[in-house]
Amino acid sequence: MKPTSMLSSSIDQQSSAVGHAIAISATNWGWRHADRTTAALAGLNLQIPAGQRVLLAGASGAGKSTLLYALAGVLHEDDDAFSTGELLIDGKSPAQGRGLVGLMQQDPETQVVQARVGDDVAFGAENLAVPASEIQRRVLMALDAVGLKLDLDHPTSALSGGQKQRLALAGILAMGPGLVLLDEPTANLDPEGVLEVRDAVIAAVEATGATLLIVEHRLDAWAPYMDRVLVLEPGGGIIHDGTPQQLFAPGSVREQLIEAGVWVPGYVPQLEPLPPLDSHAKETLMQAIEVSVSRNKGSSVAAQDMNLELVSGSAWCIRGANGAGKSTFALTLGGLLPQASGSIAATEKLGTGASEARPYDWRATELVGRIGSVFQEPEHQFVTASVREELAFGPRLAVKPGTKETLFSPEEIEARVDELLRRLRLEHLAEANPFTLSGGEKRRLSVATVLASSPAVLILDEPTFGQDANTWRELALLLREELARGTAVVAVTHDQAFAQTLGAAEFFISPAPRGAKETQGKSGLLEADIRGGTSFLGTANPLAKLVAVGLATIPLIASMDWVSSSLVVVVTLLLLPLAGLSLRRFFSRAWPLLVAALFAAWGTALVGNDSGAVLVNLGLFTITEGSAASGAATGMRAFAIAIPAVLVLFTTDPTDLANALAQKAKLPHRFVLGALAGMRLLGLLIEEWTTLGMARRARGVGSRGSVIQRLKANLGQVFGLLVQAIRRASRLAVTMEAKGFGTESRTWVRDSVFTWKDLWIVVFGAGLATAAILASVLSGSWNLVWG
Amino acid sequence: MNTITQPHGGSATKPKNNSWRVVDIVIAAVIAVSSGVIFWAWNNTHHVLDFLFLAFPPSSALLAGMWLFPAVLGGLIIRKPGAALFCELVAASVSSLLGSEFGLTVFASGIIQGLGAEAVFAAFRYRRWNLPVALLAGGLTGLLGGINDAFIFRWFPEYTMSMQLTYVGFMTVSGIVIAGLLSFFATRALAKTGALAALASRKAATESLL
Repeated sequence: MKPTSMLSSSIDQQSSAVGHAIAISATNWGWRHADRTTAALAGLNLQIPAGQRVLLAGASGAGKSTLLYALAGVLHEDDDAFSTGELLIDGKSPAQGRGLVGLMQQDPETQVVQARVGDDVAFGAENLAVPASEIQRRVLMALDAVGLKLDLDHPTSALSGGQKQRLALAGILAMGPGLVLLDEPTANLDPEGVLEVRDAVIAAVEATGATLLIVEHRLDAWAPYMDRVLVLEPGGGIIHDGTPQQLFAPGSVREQLIEAGVWVPGYVPQLEPLPPLDSHAKETLMQAIEVSVSRNKGSSVAAQDMNLELVSGSAWCIRGANGAGKSTFALTLGGLLPQASGSIAATEKLGTGASEARPYDWRATELVGRIGSVFQEPEHQFVTASVREELAFGPRLAVKPGTKETLFSPEEIEARVDELLRRLRLEHLAEANPFTLSGGEKRRLSVATVLASSPAVLILDEPTFGQDANTWRELALLLREELARGTAVVAVTHDQAFAQTLGAAEFFISPAPRGAKETQGKSGLLEADIRGGTSFLGTANPLAKLVAVGLATIPLIASMDWVSSSLVVVVTLLLLPLAGLSLRRFFSRAWPLLVAALFAAWGTALVGNDSGAVLVNLGLFTITEGSAASGAATGMRAFAIAIPAVLVLFTTDPTDLANALAQKAKLPHRFVLGALAGMRLLGLLIEEWTTLGMARRARGVGSRGSVIQRLKANLGQVFGLLVQAIRRASRLAVTMEAKGFGTESRTWVRDSVFTWKDLWIVVFGAGLATAAILASVLSGSWNLVWG
Repeated sequence: MNTITQPHGGSATKPKNNSWRVVDIVIAAVIAVSSGVIFWAWNNTHHVLDFLFLAFPPSSALLAGMWLFPAVLGGLIIRKPGAALFCELVAASVSSLLGSEFGLTVFASGIIQGLGAEAVFAAFRYRRWNLPVALLAGGLTGLLGGINDAFIFRWFPEYTMSMQLTYVGFMTVSGIVIAGLLSFFATRALAKTGALAALASRKAATESLL
């Protein structure tokens, strides 16, 4: 089904999908978060009339986001968190405003709840118990209003960041809210994505007349469309209130805002022109020749035929469209990914003493003193529990190339750490846990940790994303100092002003040929096989399949014999066509189960009761005819228990399973849908796992080495992943709650139904179980395990 | 700079809200799903360690705590009734959906193992989350898991009775160490990063061990 030609202009006629615009009033309102000692906001007095478009600005830590979350009704009081004063939307408490208010956050990945575009748009309206037919109408309208011309079954994981944000907006519109809250909706997007989302937002509020409240650092794109700007002060209330024209015109207010780090329209931090570098200092450090790159071994090439020379004291800015392979190229230059073809070689100057010229072949401890890679997400690179430790970590690990000798003495390390703490104004945070810093502090620290081991090459991926103007300026100064010292700098950035201030030459990556991007979608692991999904079993109710497999498993649990097991295995294999599977495709997924079964068989054959002729004699253990037979039975049983579930897995979409569990099995829908939302993060987490591995290697954590080293590195990485998983889950929870999730009643756009087919599937499962028992008993091999 | 508040002494005895909020559900789900992937990876790799147990096969239970940790970790982090059971069950289900050598039987195993930790947390009325409680929860989970493997599903019918009992004992030990001890310290480390700010366990790092 495609969105039909319902026009956005028709929204205002369809009043049922549109809440009336909402007015906001705050009287002496304040909030203290549970994990903080000081209030995020205090003494806020505010009146916003219905339908106004308001931009919230102010230094980071001013409580702008807190205000949005409070209005969205997702802040909860408990033992430690509480509000003061009064905050009302249309005279009611925000907690009663469910469905009247829509909220969008910064991270596009956690704004999406469902796996399919249509389901995701419908999610909020379903939670508000809007009738299904009405939701279907609103979904088409909302997708049209945000300009997403996509199939309703299109996977949400295949969308770009800008598309995800527009999808989130569509979900908000389908709820028919009277107040739209946007928390830095474009901070993670490239310039095109910013305009794409901005235009969709403005068109939507124009059509619905909803009140709009938006928090943004970068004001250029938004200011012209706003009625009013409110400037908040950390720990206080509103310090400025006026139209964009009044506040952003040259004058003292503008100067104040600039000082607070706000990106007022038209402002770029001015730095002195770069002093020319002594020409004798210029030496080639690394050379990339005819390089093509790809994210995974064997996956398609993201970018190709690139030639780049890194020279000391000079900077490159890597640009190009989304998905052009900029980050992949940066990772490859940084010695974190192997190139797909071509050559990357460090010169004698950079690679002294290394046995290999290619940085990817270096040990992590050799890499860390030569090439520093700064990742887009600072938290990916944090490996210790305090800022000071974090800074000392790299220098401690760094070794002289080709040796095990450390690069820095303990005194040198201490001096470097102190210097960096001072230079980056992080002294007062020296003992703080890096994860608890603010966004700007984390960014500064992540750059500093890499600088600590004084690499000759510095590679940064979108270092200025989401940063305020002050952090931007500090970063620019820091990198310019590094350039003056002769460090080569490579920055992947859309930020032209930033590239300019570094005097960076532009390296443009042209979009890879069509087809190469097909692999970008990061779904897969838990999704039904494409062919499996449309097969006979694929269109059956998941619950019926589960019950049938469950029934067929009963005799296998009860009896350890090869007759019942073999029967189930054979029947399962015969059923493969019903699941749209070939034997080969099936085993591409099921082979680990076969291996596991073989292990089980081998184990039993070795230790099982010996009887009959000795077949193999291993000294302590022997395999006899008797033990081999029980081994075969054990292995066959293990295999028979395992593989019918694979039929279900291949043909079942998790969304359909969740719908069946909630609607038909009557499991509590909050938990079922929560689990489903968690599963959608899975693909993301798997990708994050590889990113973490690279980010940690860039810090000097070796993933190659002895078993103990690997185990340690892996445990650290598991922990890092868990932190990211919980952070994302927290944001996803806010998204879901703002979309009305969590109440008793809801409607379902996608009905889970039982048909005659499902009955037959269950009957077949029962029949298979009976047949297995009969065959086993009649052949005299029935062997009850509890006997 | 944001300083973390010290726990006020009496917080453990305050009346507490045992109902699940959305954030509890979603974080529990994500912990469970991540654990399910670890199960799946572990299912596919743990056999390479089988040689370690050749001399005495029931000793393989010493590593079985790997299948038990979500129950304790989920309970300690979420601190709501049912969290241990929910996390273990969902983790088991996810590993089954990814393809598990235990097929659909993992649903039953997940419930039985999860009930072990759940029973311990319930016995302390969902108010105590210290080290002994965590170890006890890991231990009971291991005990039930061992009984489940050895006497309910009878995965090792070739074992003698004393081997079966040793298996159960080893799994209990593994539950105490891997599921109990590891989860307890992982929770504290997570709390230090501020990642648990939205949860009842946000102050886990500053609570006393006992």
